Amino acid sequence: MTHWTDLQPRSFLEASARDRAIGLVDEGSFTELAGPFDRVTSPHLALLGDAVAFDDGIVTGVGKIGRTPVFVISQEGRFIGGSVGEIGGAKMVTAIKLAIDFHDDLVAQFDDLDEEEKPLVVISFETGGVRLHEANAGLLAHAEVMDQLQKARGKVPVIALIGSKVGAFGGMGFVAAATDVIIMSEFGRLGLTGPEVIEQEMGKEEFDASDRALVYRTTGGRHKFIMGDANFLVENTVAAFRDQVSALAGLSIEAFEEMRRIGSSAKVKAQLRAVALAAEMQPGDATDVWTRAGNTDAHALIDLPLPEFLATVRRLAV
Amino acid sequence: MDMQESMMGRGRDAIEMIVDAGSFAEGVVGAKSFDDPEFGPGAVVGTATLQGTVCTIIASDGGAMNEKFPVVYAGIIGLEEGYKMAEAVYASILEDAEKPLAEKRPLVLIVDTPGNGPGKVEEIFGMNKSTAAYQLALAEARLKGHPIIAMVIGRAISGAFLCHGLQADAILSLDAQFGTMIHVMPLTSVSRIIRKDLETLEVLSKQSAVFAAGPRFFHSLGGVEALVETLDGMRPAIVARIAEVRAAKLEGRQDDLGPWGRGKLGEARGGRIERPRVIEMMSRDFAAVADRYAPSR
Amino acid sequence: MALHTLTLDLAPAAPKTRIQARLHVGVTGSSDLEIMMHPEDLSGRVAVTVVTPVTGFDALWTRVLQKFLDDSGLCDARIEINDNNATPAVVLLRLQQALAAA
Repeated sequence: MTHWTDLQPRSFLEASARDRAIGLVDEGSFTELAGPFDRVTSPHLALLGDAVAFDDGIVTGVGKIGRTPVFVISQEGRFIGGSVGEIGGAKMVTAIKLAIDFHDDLVAQFDDLDEEEKPLVVISFETGGVRLHEANAGLLAHAEVMDQLQKARGKVPVIALIGSKVGAFGGMGFVAAATDVIIMSEFGRLGLTGPEVIEQEMGKEEFDASDRALVYRTTGGRHKFIMGDANFLVENTVAAFRDQVSALAGLSIEAFEEMRRIGSSAKVKAQLRAVALAAEMQPGDATDVWTRAGNTDAHALIDLPLPEFLATVRRLAV
Repeated sequence: MDMQESMMGRGRDAIEMIVDAGSFAEGVVGAKSFDDPEFGPGAVVGTATLQGTVCTIIASDGGAMNEKFPVVYAGIIGLEEGYKMAEAVYASILEDAEKPLAEKRPLVLIVDTPGNGPGKVEEIFGMNKSTAAYQLALAEARLKGHPIIAMVIGRAISGAFLCHGLQADAILSLDAQFGTMIHVMPLTSVSRIIRKDLETLEVLSKQSAVFAAGPRFFHSLGGVEALVETLDGMRPAIVARIAEVRAAKLEGRQDDLGPWGRGKLGEARGGRIERPRVIEMMSRDFAAVADRYAPSR
Repeated sequence: MALHTLTLDLAPAAPKTRIQARLHVGVTGSSDLEIMMHPEDLSGRVAVTVVTPVTGFDALWTRVLQKFLDDSGLCDARIEINDNNATPAVVLLRLQQALAAA
């Protein structure tokens, strides 16, 4: 097993789901729940004759950052694209539910509990959503995750990390959007419809899925940061993601609510102002919106080193 | 099975079949009115009575096209539509904020939608937020005590069903003879993506509920609570479900409803048996170490 | 159509290496595999279970695993593998990595 200190400088993009999970929390604090030794392989994949994984492609567990209990969900994109089936879905749902129940237990048990001692949920996304091999069960599990996210509101903050190769798309694009805070690296991608499907719908002239720069401009970390869809943009290391989570641990639940993009009538009204802008602008490219946000040389932002990007970029205000 | 006339694309007709005659007021929910006819035309929202009870109605208009966002037609939920539906839910919550549990207005979702807006502008501005906003609003209304019943009349496809349907307390569906479609993706596309020949998948789709399409398989997974056999049967079935859901909420049985309740139903019907195993395993594993994660004092 | 399960009962030419604790390495990615090993008193032998979508390569699996055991001298262990079309070279590499992680 890789030593914890060696995990910290590692590329978040390249790391495995388990290394991300272990590296995000304090050294030696991670306990995996329903891990590979429990052999939770999918019988639905086996029925189709497809390879199985002992953890069904999702790492779930609990660790600590400082005094904060952190429930971690980490998806593994190398196993069937991080797709969510019956077991992986149940693992996600249960991790969030355990965090909520633990919160309630602690609040009942300690009358002097401070914010830092209350649990957090961190989800590292690497998925296109539903696993087609067991699609119905996967779909129903997505709805359960959303239900748990709403149940966590006002109690347990849920933080999304998106810095993986696959990104967060499909039904898990909804789930990521519904979390309290989104932390991305510039290599992370967030959306609903994958590039291939957009190309199929609109034609190659409108959207060329093989154009990687275009794909990143449309759904990548830099764009999502400018749009306000990502709250934080960090370097591509396990340590950078960990540091950002650590900086958030202990904030009040009200502070987390404020960071949400959606989840109330007022936030929906703000989003509708952005939608009105979309209708008015009909942007042909994401950089049109960057310009509108006040970035005079939008194209220069694409390749600017991250610290300079963060120092100079203007984010869209609507 | 004698095929019946499909309700696909007929969300507005379904509203008239279900609510009290002439009671549907489109574009008004509580204090909120949706005055711009060009705003989110693919989503039909409004207020009606159902056996005298005031309800919020949310449906898709299969005949509408959103000219500002042309990927939105045939009942697709686009950027504006998702937020419009969310607004209708929040307006319902706000209007009944002071009312006791027994008087929270029901929300009736009439489900016939093939998907979410799949365009470039949609991705640039974050289509995932729009439909997630609607799901969160529904979950909030459900947890605040509003009975939410989804009635699948046509297409309940993948992400669109997640957003418009799967956050309800209870889901009813017209049975297969109405051509009701509940699935994530057509078999031909699944075959291409997971690289399995169509014949293999067709065999599997006759036996595996987690894989197969259609309302009956969803029923066995607990994803659909009950199947409705006739168009006339929709109204009484919805009325009965509202009463049952309300009673369950008054008794504090929230866990028997909504997505979690459907999980329990899926276990009881034998369609989803891995899920409860995982829940039990993780709960047991965590209980063994929970002390380590609690404050030490 | 179902997954293929291969069970093997093997022994190294010269038993010398024992693992002290269970371990797990790898991801069942495309052309890759994951490996779990448990220490178990099997009178010097090694019990192997391979779960793979591929059929017709049982003899090759036996050769690769026998080579790994002969090279490492691993004994008294239970090995479980989830494979997804890994080549023999990758299988050997992952087995060596697993043992190195012990």
